[in-house]
Amino acid sequence: MKKAKKNRGINELKSRYGYLFTTHWIIGIVIFFALPLIQSVVFSFSDIKIVSDGIKLNFVGIENYKQILMIDANYETWVTNSLTTYLYSLPIIILLSMTLALILNQNFRGRLFFRALYFLPVIISTGAVINLIFKTTGSDMSEIGVSDAYSANMVSVDDIVKLLDIDGKIAAFITQTISKIFDLVWSCGIQIVLFLAGLQSVPSSLYEASKVEGATKWEEFWFITFPMLSRVTLLVSVFTMVELITSERTTLIKNVYSMMRAGNYDETSAMIWFYFLICGGIMGLIIFLYNRFLMKRWE
Amino acid sequence: MKNIINTFSTFDSRKAQQLRKKGVSTVYSLFRLVILLSIGFIIIYPLIYTIVTSLQSKYAFLNSTRVWIPTEFAIIENYSAAFNAMEYMKSLWSTLKNELLSAAIEVASCALVAYGLARFDFKLKKVYTAVLFLTILVPEMMILIPRMLNYSHLDLFGILGLFKNISGIDLRANILDTPLAFWLPSLFAVGLRSGILIYIYIQFFKGLPRELEEAAWVDGAGPFRTFLSIALPSSGVVILTVSVFSMIWHWNDSLLSGMYMSEDFPLAGQISRLPETLGSKYHIILSPRDPQGIGYLMAGCVLFIVPMLIVYMIVQRWFIESIDRVGITG
Repeated sequence: MKKAKKNRGINELKSRYGYLFTTHWIIGIVIFFALPLIQSVVFSFSDIKIVSDGIKLNFVGIENYKQILMIDANYETWVTNSLTTYLYSLPIIILLSMTLALILNQNFRGRLFFRALYFLPVIISTGAVINLIFKTTGSDMSEIGVSDAYSANMVSVDDIVKLLDIDGKIAAFITQTISKIFDLVWSCGIQIVLFLAGLQSVPSSLYEASKVEGATKWEEFWFITFPMLSRVTLLVSVFTMVELITSERTTLIKNVYSMMRAGNYDETSAMIWFYFLICGGIMGLIIFLYNRFLMKRWE
Repeated sequence: MKNIINTFSTFDSRKAQQLRKKGVSTVYSLFRLVILLSIGFIIIYPLIYTIVTSLQSKYAFLNSTRVWIPTEFAIIENYSAAFNAMEYMKSLWSTLKNELLSAAIEVASCALVAYGLARFDFKLKKVYTAVLFLTILVPEMMILIPRMLNYSHLDLFGILGLFKNISGIDLRANILDTPLAFWLPSLFAVGLRSGILIYIYIQFFKGLPRELEEAAWVDGAGPFRTFLSIALPSSGVVILTVSVFSMIWHWNDSLLSGMYMSEDFPLAGQISRLPETLGSKYHIILSPRDPQGIGYLMAGCVLFIVPMLIVYMIVQRWFIESIDRVGITG
């Protein structure tokens, strides 16, 4: 009885310490996160004028949204462009990084070298510098114009697709994927790191048990590794989705960002909110389906 | 049953089986090597291309018989041009002061938050965790404009604005163009991708054995004392991982610095502006007919990457090992 009372005391004390450790974070969340988030919703519904004493807001209702959806000719193209990139990149990045993580998790000579090599994109890929490098080497070489010097060395993907006689839409998908191969592989850095960490946390006793039971490698992957990775896969998917949506390489973000820097704050707020709501909807749907059909099966 | 049959099977068939197994594994390891090398090539190709291009003159660039080995060098010309155009030393200092220092602050303040969330139970913990996931999910772009506008008149919950209305003295500070714009969010653990860093920390702290900390409690150490002298010393691995991530993200950040600053940009800002700077400084327009600027541009990229590459080479051994042990994903 006495002990229980004392425990409660400690727990109360501990809960107080919990708040103590997180106070500064909560203050930060209010000032630097929640407030700006609300403000940006307000901005998207108003007309902003910059005056000497900060800004002046003028509520205009859905005028901004009307402007970008009905009048602005570019916005819809930007959104559809960005969305298609997002939708086809996501599964490829996840599959690719999972496969690579599985390979890098095995024991073989030169493993450390390859790991170091495959983590290289983590350092560079989030940066502005990669945009410049890709502009001159990757898929959109023509923008600066070194393509003349380089495309001569490369086999044309179009020719191969034509040669194999694949029909329209699939062919277009293949060409697009291969021409974006630099982009896709370079987006796998952190995903590989996360998957590797997940693979490390699978208890080895499970593999030993399956070996005793005489499971094949395929069964081992399908019934142990994949289910044990399901949480990591969800985390990686969410992370990849956020990365893809906000990447400076997407058409929409690139354009919106340059508009922002030019001082157009109200319309860009509406643009971003509309785009992120669509993306968030898709993201929610994917997470829901994933939980419904993949996570439930193993729990 | 299988084992029994195996034991009784003749020596020859067992040997054959072994040989077949060996053959399969050789084929597999060859296959693995091919895949690793080919995807590795995709990763290394842009880097090699960048380095090679940064070394050579424009004449070599127009020479179509050359592929990888530069024929005419213009190392000094390219690099000095890029060095000057980026105002390298000045921007490096700006990066150190604004970005890397705020990365260090972020690493420290996120550790506190994560320890609080991982070790103690309190009523609002579920709400806090939900908020944490929200900060991971909501893109930085979304709150960029209001943040920037708030920074020009930094106010604490409208108190200072109210004070101004009453007394007429404006205490609201403009922290744009000062390092505070980077330091303050980091100090409050809501800086660049703090959510993910806190998440990594939490996963690690949850795995730390509680016994030591409880012993410290019994011996009368306060929570901060316990955190500083028990929890932190045994979490060097996770601190390294988080520091590397935070440093890389801050080093590469051109988005925030582009909005918060109007001059004295950090390196990431300079490199994303480099095509325009080259245009205004050397009157170079990047075009296929005049490949002069490409050497400069790539030299700039190399100058930007090299410091991070050096850091990576120093820490990569620990970093790669630490991933095995941190268990980021729980």
